[in-house]
Amino acid sequence: MKRAWRLLLRRSLTSIPVLMLVITGTFLLLENASGDAADAYLVAIGGGDAGYVADLRAEYGLDRSVWVRLWFYISNLAQLDLGQSVALNRPILDVILERLPVTLWLMGSAVALSFVFGSLLGVLAGARPGSATDRTLSIGSLALYSVPSFWLGLVLSVVFAVQLRWFPVSGIETIASGKTGLARAGDIALHLVLPVASLAMLYLALFLRLMRAGMAEVWRQDFVLAARARGIKHHKIILQHIARNALLPLITMLGLQAAGMLGGSVVIEGVFGIPGFGRLAAEAVSGRDAPLLMGVILTSSILVILVNLAVDMVYALLDPRVGASDPA
Amino acid sequence: MSIQITRRNLIRGAAILLGTTALPSFALAAAGGRLVIASDSEPRNLNPAMVASNGVFFIASKIVEPLAELGYDGMKPLLATSWHGSDDGKTLTFKLREGVTWHDGQPFTAADVAFSAMEVWKPLQNLGRAIFVNLEAVETPDDHTAIFRFSQPTPVQLIQNALPVVTSVLPKHLYEGSDIKENPLNLAPVGTGPFKFAEHRPGQYYRLTKNDAYWNAGEPNIDELIYRVLPDRAAAANSLEAGEIGLAAFSMVPLVELDRIGQIDGLEVITKGYEALTYQLIVEINHRREHMANLKVRQAIAHAIDKQFVIDAIFLGYAAAATGPVPANAPEFYTPKVTQYDFDLDKANALLDEAGYPKDASGVRFSLDLLPAPYFSETKQFGDYLRQALIKIGIEARIVANDSAGHQKAVYTDHDFDLAIAPTVFRGDPAISTTVLVRSGLPAGVSFSNQGGYANPQADALIDKAAVTLDTDKRTALYKEFQQLVAADLPLINVADWSFTSVAATSLGNVANNPRWPVSNWSDLTVER
Amino acid sequence: MNFVARFIRSPEGIAGLVLLSLLAAAALLAPVFFPGDPLAIEGRPLLRPFEHPGLPLGTDRLGRDVMAELFHGARASMIVGISAAAVAILVGALVGTLAGFGGGLIDEALMRVVEAFQIVPGFLLALAFVSVVGPSLTVVVIAIALGSWTGPARLARAEVLSIRERDFVAAARVIGMHPLEIAVKEVLPLALPPVMALTSVIVAGAVLTEAALSFLGLGDPNIVTWGSMIAEGRNVLRSAAYLSIVPGLGLVALVLGVYLFGEGLVEALARREGQG
Repeated sequence: MKRAWRLLLRRSLTSIPVLMLVITGTFLLLENASGDAADAYLVAIGGGDAGYVADLRAEYGLDRSVWVRLWFYISNLAQLDLGQSVALNRPILDVILERLPVTLWLMGSAVALSFVFGSLLGVLAGARPGSATDRTLSIGSLALYSVPSFWLGLVLSVVFAVQLRWFPVSGIETIASGKTGLARAGDIALHLVLPVASLAMLYLALFLRLMRAGMAEVWRQDFVLAARARGIKHHKIILQHIARNALLPLITMLGLQAAGMLGGSVVIEGVFGIPGFGRLAAEAVSGRDAPLLMGVILTSSILVILVNLAVDMVYALLDPRVGASDPA
Repeated sequence: MSIQITRRNLIRGAAILLGTTALPSFALAAAGGRLVIASDSEPRNLNPAMVASNGVFFIASKIVEPLAELGYDGMKPLLATSWHGSDDGKTLTFKLREGVTWHDGQPFTAADVAFSAMEVWKPLQNLGRAIFVNLEAVETPDDHTAIFRFSQPTPVQLIQNALPVVTSVLPKHLYEGSDIKENPLNLAPVGTGPFKFAEHRPGQYYRLTKNDAYWNAGEPNIDELIYRVLPDRAAAANSLEAGEIGLAAFSMVPLVELDRIGQIDGLEVITKGYEALTYQLIVEINHRREHMANLKVRQAIAHAIDKQFVIDAIFLGYAAAATGPVPANAPEFYTPKVTQYDFDLDKANALLDEAGYPKDASGVRFSLDLLPAPYFSETKQFGDYLRQALIKIGIEARIVANDSAGHQKAVYTDHDFDLAIAPTVFRGDPAISTTVLVRSGLPAGVSFSNQGGYANPQADALIDKAAVTLDTDKRTALYKEFQQLVAADLPLINVADWSFTSVAATSLGNVANNPRWPVSNWSDLTVER
Repeated sequence: MNFVARFIRSPEGIAGLVLLSLLAAAALLAPVFFPGDPLAIEGRPLLRPFEHPGLPLGTDRLGRDVMAELFHGARASMIVGISAAAVAILVGALVGTLAGFGGGLIDEALMRVVEAFQIVPGFLLALAFVSVVGPSLTVVVIAIALGSWTGPARLARAEVLSIRERDFVAAARVIGMHPLEIAVKEVLPLALPPVMALTSVIVAGAVLTEAALSFLGLGDPNIVTWGSMIAEGRNVLRSAAYLSIVPGLGLVALVLGVYLFGEGLVEALARREGQG
């Protein structure tokens, strides 16, 4: 346990300069953009005269120099204040806390489902490498892995939401329905089915392939050969030895894919009209809302760091061979 | 055995889940006194007195009312019952409606109008700053009279045409003494309108509820308006079809879907209700560039555009070919008697040869940068079309795509374009719309204005003269002359005038009954129960 | 047994090779079959497939030849995929080599930068970058590379760390070669092959990212890509579904081909190791 704490502390400390890099980079990127928050707003309202534009810039603080603004932002951040969104005119923390849970639900469900089904199917495929089942599942998963998720989302939405009307077309819950408790949870779950399916297919394929590959690897190892020699039954070997050992790379992949999943939610949230984190990021970019975009990127970076930390912890628990030395 | 049972239970469970939660969510979006409306934006500031834009009015005009509203047969009284201007054009007197109360129960008086005019419209509003620039004071001899005093003669025609847009009245008692720009009511407006602001769930919806104390007894007829935020236009059509929303205005349903959607039982496509919200598809020209400063080149480009193709392929017939800078939807000012540019590639090529730009070996005369505004899919598609149309006359256009903010900066501040495509709005009077696209001397950074560097003293003189001409007939004549001049000299090229379309549930009544319908107050809108 | 022979024994590899060859042929022959701009307006808008003999797949909303767009789209998708992967691998390998070989402060600093890029969702970064700079083919390629160079960088660094302790590097040091020269001339060539194994994953990812960007309207408007075709077709999804289905299938075929081909390569390599 002490080892785990040391890891945690070390990781947190090394994360700080990385996060600073991320913040500064994001800020400079938006700073060098053509057009600022005032331009973005002027489009939305159909324009105004020169004095109006100048007032707007002053109101947004855009009349101050780049470095002054960056300094203000960072010093506020040091006091855990994410600041005020320019485009939405609300505290960024509120906005993020409002949007983040939706995306976490979306991603969490997609990951959980794909993890469970992916590894099960992977076990099935890896149980007898080279068999017909294995070939079918391998090729099938590869095909699935090649499907762009936004395209899958489009197709699913037209078939199941518009044509068959089994699921709602868009949104995260029935608006102003007044539902509470279980009814509301059911409502949200129903809204999540299609977007989760579009996201999960990709990761299902990924986990399937990893599990299969991991099993193929473990089959050749000595302790499995020994177990076979001792006459232990096929399915017992698979479940007790191989699958368990093959699980580790899957968990590693979970950490590696965390960032990718957050990114993938942008398009899916767009297709299904889900007011989540990805859409917020897109809004921040189009509104040239530097503080909001920094808040979004900072939050997602911290999320990614946390996921990786959790993965490391789980890894350390599952595999006693992982030493105190920290590879990253 | 145990597995089977579990599986069966699972399926049954799923069926129950689908059965119980699916049904209510598909209940009609326009029934039981509630109407769900698709909305593609969430305005940063929902105060129509400060931000006069259609995006704000779409929601806020139901809550905060202006002095007058436009009907199909002219301006109709709303918060003002009558108005008249003095002969010298320096005073304008409004008689205000009696018995009107704010949503918080306080009475509406002339003091509210005076406060709104002097503290909000004139100093803070994006359009009011120009229209009320000469407004000196608003006198309130009694609670129901407001007298506007101008330092310079101001045409009544101009102010009257702008009334629905620039005169949303705010409650003085809730704004006075506060920092108006930062007042929280800007996001939760209080007005005199038929609906009251109830809640806003960011990213999800706005909810408006019936104002039981509305001044016009018996109205409104609907209990609740819900604006569902659907930034994705393709989603709107699907949601309508699935019965999740009952109204999509401002062409939120892509034009290509209209034919199909119109066939669906319970939905209808409506093209009325936008006559005073005409958008103009124009080609903006940067006259600082050598090629573009040449009238023959501009004429050639005008001849190269097949307006009929644009109407048929891009607007699918939901638009009209433009004949000049003022749309036919503004009969008060419109004249078709201006220079016309027929689709004629030979003529266009001949003009370019004359202008001294021969084709090179690969058939190209010169290259240019084309910046289509990204705000509408139609402007982007027209960009794709124009690029193809230009190559036919030997002009190679490179499309430079920007997002909204980037486009705004590139065209209106940096002037970094040869040709740009803009969807400008005709605001009911040339003084506040068309002419700003031609008048020289506007500072850089002012969007939807002449940033192409066009300077024509003759045009400027006409514009300035019309702005202070009080006689309505004379003023109108000046604008007709202006149209002829613009069509002949082509500071910009007008391609099409288009209005939006709505798709509405057939259970809605009193839809599209005025020329600014989506941004009017909907006090008489009904839903079949 | 040589490498080609081993590769041929992998059915996945063969399938991938066939798919990729077909698509590459389409891409290469696009200007031959469909000379001129694929975005040119060739007929009446929204002609159905097989309705017009000269336009076998019909036309899109503006009357552009869908078949020509499809062929030229293959070209754009492949160009973007390959260039983005090349940029990502080159930059990654270079940074990784420098970090691994430089060690100490250089390593620390470079790896922090790598981490910074790694924790930011790559698609968000690409989206922000393209929106802000404005879409063009080059910008899209850079944007995609921004999100995918960290993998190669880490791998290259790990390789370099193991290589730099070897004798010949020490020898090069003894004869007085400049460290940078050693890094680029001696170490990088050895570190590169394992990094190249990432190619198929990066190419496939790049193709998908480009499609997603184009789908969001962030593609180069002067060229046609499969992503932009899907985005364009999305508006008529209900009345002319094939306009978005066909380019979607093209994307699936391309990405699948890349994966299968990569799979075949890996298998062929593994067999060699197995035999050696």
